[in-house]
Amino acid sequence: MIKVIHLCYSLGHKPILQNVDFSLNENDFVLIFGPNGAGKSTLLKLLAGIIVAKQGDIFIGRKNILQYSKKELATQVAYLPQFDEFSLPLLVRDILLSGRYPYQSFFRKYSRQDYEIFEKTVERFALEDYVDRNIQTLSGGERKKVLLASAFIQDVPLILLDEPLNFLDPASAMQVIKMLKEMHNQGKTILLVSHLIQYFFPQANKMLALKNGKIHYFGAKKFSAQLFQDIYQVSVKRVFIENKEIIYINE
Amino acid sequence: MSKKIYLLGIVVFLLLLLLPFLGIVPVNWQTILKKNSGSFIFWQLRVPRTLLGFVSGSILALSGLVCQNLFKNNLATPDLLGISSGAAAGAVLALKFNLYISFLGLGGLVLFSYLGALSSVLFVLLLSRMVRNTSLYTFLMCGVALNFFYSALIVFFQYLFDFSNTFSLLRWLMGGISVVGYHEIIFLSVLLLIFLILIFFFKSEFLLVAAGDHFAQSRGLPVHHFRIYSFLGLAFIVGAVVSICGPIGFIALIVPHISRLWGKSNYSAAVVFSILLGGGFLVLADFLARILIPPVDIPVGIITSLFGAPFFLLLIISQLKKAE
Repeated sequence: MIKVIHLCYSLGHKPILQNVDFSLNENDFVLIFGPNGAGKSTLLKLLAGIIVAKQGDIFIGRKNILQYSKKELATQVAYLPQFDEFSLPLLVRDILLSGRYPYQSFFRKYSRQDYEIFEKTVERFALEDYVDRNIQTLSGGERKKVLLASAFIQDVPLILLDEPLNFLDPASAMQVIKMLKEMHNQGKTILLVSHLIQYFFPQANKMLALKNGKIHYFGAKKFSAQLFQDIYQVSVKRVFIENKEIIYINE
Repeated sequence: MSKKIYLLGIVVFLLLLLLPFLGIVPVNWQTILKKNSGSFIFWQLRVPRTLLGFVSGSILALSGLVCQNLFKNNLATPDLLGISSGAAAGAVLALKFNLYISFLGLGGLVLFSYLGALSSVLFVLLLSRMVRNTSLYTFLMCGVALNFFYSALIVFFQYLFDFSNTFSLLRWLMGGISVVGYHEIIFLSVLLLIFLILIFFFKSEFLLVAAGDHFAQSRGLPVHHFRIYSFLGLAFIVGAVVSICGPIGFIALIVPHISRLWGKSNYSAAVVFSILLGGGFLVLADFLARILIPPVDIPVGIITSLFGAPFFLLLIISQLKKAE
């Protein structure tokens, strides 16, 4: 599904990513973590086609990412940035419908099918109360839900998320995680950057640890106190309560 | 919301219908079909003036709306980005060197200020291409630099002018919509129509850029290209208004603001409100310009700024208070 080969990226003379190699299968749920400045967000932006690497290749599906047109790529990959910048009033309805933008024909009309998908998604994630509101009046959690639903409407196999739980209260965080689980169970491939390992650890099946722009660990999910020690310099422990795996930071 | 649109539509329609009759010399409605001085004032001066006011006001308001979407900032306007000052510099050149040519019924003054407006936009675009960045910041910095440069150029030429030329330049800089005949109106109406078609055709794109660069890119929109082409198109349309009417301030800034508020963030409603409010406001301002201090015809740019600036401050203050 995704193959990344010798990917390098630098800003000026400062290398951000060096020789990143990995490949993923369909329906993988990958947890990407690493200290600040390790290159996690850059990796997601490269995969989303927002920035372009001078060296290395990214294959999505069977094609190199550079061979996709912008619109075509948007039918393969959805990307949720870490920060949303809604500085103008916009209707939630328009934000959600924009997920169908890559499918628009020349006359730029949304088809009946587009509206059907829109309505089903609104119903599915219980967003009825939001659709006619200005996105700026929504709380951080509500916004994240809307953006995630918009990615769902985009109907892509691959979803990239950058710190989706930032600034969310526990209840909103749980709702977002529930939405993500649902999408994963639907067969989507999910790549997620987060420091909040404990929230996503149960659902993930692969892990990718980045440090100083290099892959420190990539492979099946495993609990390794040594790995977390190497990456974050904290000691992480694991307990099982009622058959649930819980990991926590032990100071 | 739709009720408000209808109501406003009726008010603006009545304004357009009634204002040509009113003025220092009132025109009797029975005389307008006869051949006399009254009907001349009516058909050749007041009707064109009212129509030009409406069309220009609409275009200015819409240009503000589009500009704010493009740069995701509700203070962005075309004049901030150097379009007006470029037009002014062009006008100065035309006046200084007495360039009396004409094309499509438009005079040398209009043509050269149009070229001036386009020149400054091309400059902004070249620069943004050089630094590979199309953020508001880049455009704004360039616009500010151009504003200074062109202002200096204008003052320099003004210093060299003889007195009569200086006056006509000053008059142009104050902005006004006094025209004779219908050439300019037809020209601008066509532009307004094209503008509206584009605004609705690219509705999804304008909504996407307004939502943010990364957001738009992840939906498959080449943001930078779209912004550059839109800005170029915008310059063609706004440049035409500025070159005909001179720089008329505040409409592009205030009207979109109110339109968005009244339209409850709905794109199409904001567009319709912008047309009605922008057009209606300029027509009304021009009416005031005609009658406030008879027989002086106050340049309408003075009126819009005199009323617009305090109103804008009030708007900002009320918003800041609400945010507290």
